[in-house]
Amino acid sequence: MISIASQFLFFIETLLFISVIFMHLTRKNFTAIFLYAAQALIISIALFYSSLREASLLLLVVTIITFLVKVVIAPYFFFGLIKKHRLQFSASTYLNGPTTLIILALLTAFSYSYFFQPLTSLAPDDGNALLLAMGMMFISIFLIVNRKGVLSQMIGILSLENAIVSFVYIARLETTAGSQLGILFNILIWIIIATVFASMIYRHFGSLDASAMRHLKEE
Amino acid sequence: MFNLLTSSNVFFFALILWLLGAFGSLVLRRNDQVANWWGNFFAIFGAIAALTASLPVLISGPVFSFSIASSLPLVSLSFNVDKLSAFFIFVISLIAFFTSVYALSYIKQYYRHYNIGALGFFYNIFLVGMVMVVSASNVLFFLIVWEIMSLSSYFLVIFENKEKDNVKAGSLYFIMTHLGTAFIALAFLLLYRATGFLDFGAIKENIGVATPLVKNIIFILAFIGFGTKAGIIPFHIWLPSAHPAAPSYVSALMSGVMIKTGIYMFIRIFMDVMPDAPLWWGVVILIFGATSSLLGVLYALTEHDIKKLLAYHSIENIGIILMGLGGSLVFWSLNMMPLAILGLVAALFHTLNHAIFKSLLFMGAGSVISATHTRNMEEYGGLIKYMPQTAFFFLIGSMAISALPPFNGFFSEWLTFQSLFAGVGALDVSVRWVFVLAAGSLAFTGGLAAMCFVKAFGAVFLARPRNEEVCHATESGITPRISMAALAALTLIIGFSAGPTANILSGVVNDLCIFHSSQPAFYSTALTVGLRNNFASVSMPLILISILVALAFTFFIVSFITRNKKIKIGATWDCGTALDSRMEITSTGFARAVISIFRGVLMPTKQVSVEYRDEDMRYFQKTETVELGVHDIYQSHFYQPIYLFIIKVSEQVKRIQSGNVNMYILYILIILMALLLIVNI
Repeated sequence: MISIASQFLFFIETLLFISVIFMHLTRKNFTAIFLYAAQALIISIALFYSSLREASLLLLVVTIITFLVKVVIAPYFFFGLIKKHRLQFSASTYLNGPTTLIILALLTAFSYSYFFQPLTSLAPDDGNALLLAMGMMFISIFLIVNRKGVLSQMIGILSLENAIVSFVYIARLETTAGSQLGILFNILIWIIIATVFASMIYRHFGSLDASAMRHLKEE
Repeated sequence: MFNLLTSSNVFFFALILWLLGAFGSLVLRRNDQVANWWGNFFAIFGAIAALTASLPVLISGPVFSFSIASSLPLVSLSFNVDKLSAFFIFVISLIAFFTSVYALSYIKQYYRHYNIGALGFFYNIFLVGMVMVVSASNVLFFLIVWEIMSLSSYFLVIFENKEKDNVKAGSLYFIMTHLGTAFIALAFLLLYRATGFLDFGAIKENIGVATPLVKNIIFILAFIGFGTKAGIIPFHIWLPSAHPAAPSYVSALMSGVMIKTGIYMFIRIFMDVMPDAPLWWGVVILIFGATSSLLGVLYALTEHDIKKLLAYHSIENIGIILMGLGGSLVFWSLNMMPLAILGLVAALFHTLNHAIFKSLLFMGAGSVISATHTRNMEEYGGLIKYMPQTAFFFLIGSMAISALPPFNGFFSEWLTFQSLFAGVGALDVSVRWVFVLAAGSLAFTGGLAAMCFVKAFGAVFLARPRNEEVCHATESGITPRISMAALAALTLIIGFSAGPTANILSGVVNDLCIFHSSQPAFYSTALTVGLRNNFASVSMPLILISILVALAFTFFIVSFITRNKKIKIGATWDCGTALDSRMEITSTGFARAVISIFRGVLMPTKQVSVEYRDEDMRYFQKTETVELGVHDIYQSHFYQPIYLFIIKVSEQVKRIQSGNVNMYILYILIILMALLLIVNI
């Protein structure tokens, strides 16, 4: 019999997975950021659920900080970037929609393949959710590969981080609250630096399209 | 209190002294003199402590080992000092003692020009590194201390960094030494994979599970890796550049001692850790040894840079050591243990002897260079008048390296010869020819080495000065002369005590488990060394009497012939020109005959450039310059093709550098998926 917790985990993992699929499909940066915020909110809810279940105050603090960093601060920085450089519609891709969807299907099938079945031993009751998190990781990396816009790539990196967090959460490999706080601090600093860096790229190249930066290569 | 003076405690104390010397020099770097004295005094006391720690183990054999817990996974700071390690610690600390005494005065020339604190730091760290290399018993710990030794020696090579050539030589050394380390690391990884252990002792106990193929691959990797450090041809190209670049007393350590760490590891890996060597390992080492000794001395003959000449002689002597070691491996694989002990004792004896006379020669060269400010032998001449003591010590070193009796070099080469002759007599045809060629090569090497040092001594110290600087040369300071005098005395003392020394070395060899219950093929008493089958023997008193008789006879003959001849000083008939230094034979001219004979190997080059009085008419020459050189066949036939191949491959690989960040992330995704697939398959 599957417990309620397992159903809950699979449900939130499905929501996360769908969010990253939609990130691939959307052509608007606003929507991508909104999907990321939704993804981060789901992670925060999952952590909140854990803090209640464990009755841990420290975990609650981690949840609140996760919410602040990922749901509030990160979107704030990204919306600022869009506003500053008018990037509403710059979420262009290398591959067209149907091809992208075929690759997404292949990556999902790959994560559910025979090769990754041993991973389910980490959480035998939540094997499906675990493999879905694995698929989400691949699809997030593919988001970075397929998108030309730097902003979308940044969102892809943060989505990959969310996928890893969800994987760790399902596999119950969480580290101490202190180290989780450290990771969150890392993410916050990364977001600030990446945003500043993106602005510098725009000033230098007049675009945030990664394909416009080819002459960074040594001639 | 005396209970505390165990070998392990004293050994540890030596390491602490060197570390104090290193860090103290850095702290005191603002005052050159204080930094110099601090660094070298601690180096001297550290060397005395290390000698004290190694001697009891070497003579009576109480092996000691200890381990310090480490927080790093798989790494333990484990030391194991058996007789073999103790022998190498003894050689390192013996030479370190004399080089440190020498350095006290020698370093003064660097005051206000270079950072003396940094020199003291790297010098002491170098000593720590070398001693730990020959005592480490954990593979990862060994690699760490090997790297410490390599990096500190690199910084010593580029110490005089205002000279561009030194920095270039340092870069070559850095690349080659790390290339060698890569091979060593691969060999150790294979050992770990085969046995599951990182401790040399545990690897030795479990090496039986490794397949012959794996052992052969480990042999090849270790041979290239440690052979690069030892300077075996063709992995030697860093050595003639790097050794001359360092300060002379560091060159003495590098050439006399550091390259021997490669020999130590050959013995440790091939005769201790992997104790079932097939025949071909010994044959390969023998062939490389014979080639290195012959080519090393030939290249030395073509050199006119005094330190490069000595560096090439190091290659030659490493070749001689390898001949003993290779012969020993061959005998061992054929279960001829007495002869195997003979070969290994010869190799160890020559290791000790070469360390002594090569240090002496580098110190002599250092004193000459300090006085004349050039390494070019063509610009010396007549230095015996200005530096008579240095000339005397250099002459003794030259005779020792030329294997002339009664100096130490003679006895180790004699033992090596006996080992090779025994191989010629005892082995079947398939292996015999290798021993015949090796013996021939050793005979050639001995003759050419003597010729080379006739050239070196003659060009540097005899005849007339060929440079104004020579006329202003003065004898080196007191501490360099004390060091050189002591080393010169040691060449003679060890020569006369060859019997007892061979006995001690026989004990070192017997301490290796494969030789525990074997008798050597030679006997040695206080005055005689000989083979048990009465094939040959040498008697030190007989040699001494022969030399005294020869000297007395020569003196008598010369006195008799010249009894009625008086010295007349007058104008020489030489077409009206007064004698000057341009009429002397140069070192290049001296070696030209030999270069002509070996032109197939050495590939001499000759470049003539003429300047005319009138460039349009071109009838009357103003000047004609002839540049004679030797073509570097290793560069053109070995390293250059490898270099071109790597460049070609790099050009192809560079294509993946598209300049598109998305592509790079795609590569990461593909690699990630491939790795996950491999792990799960």
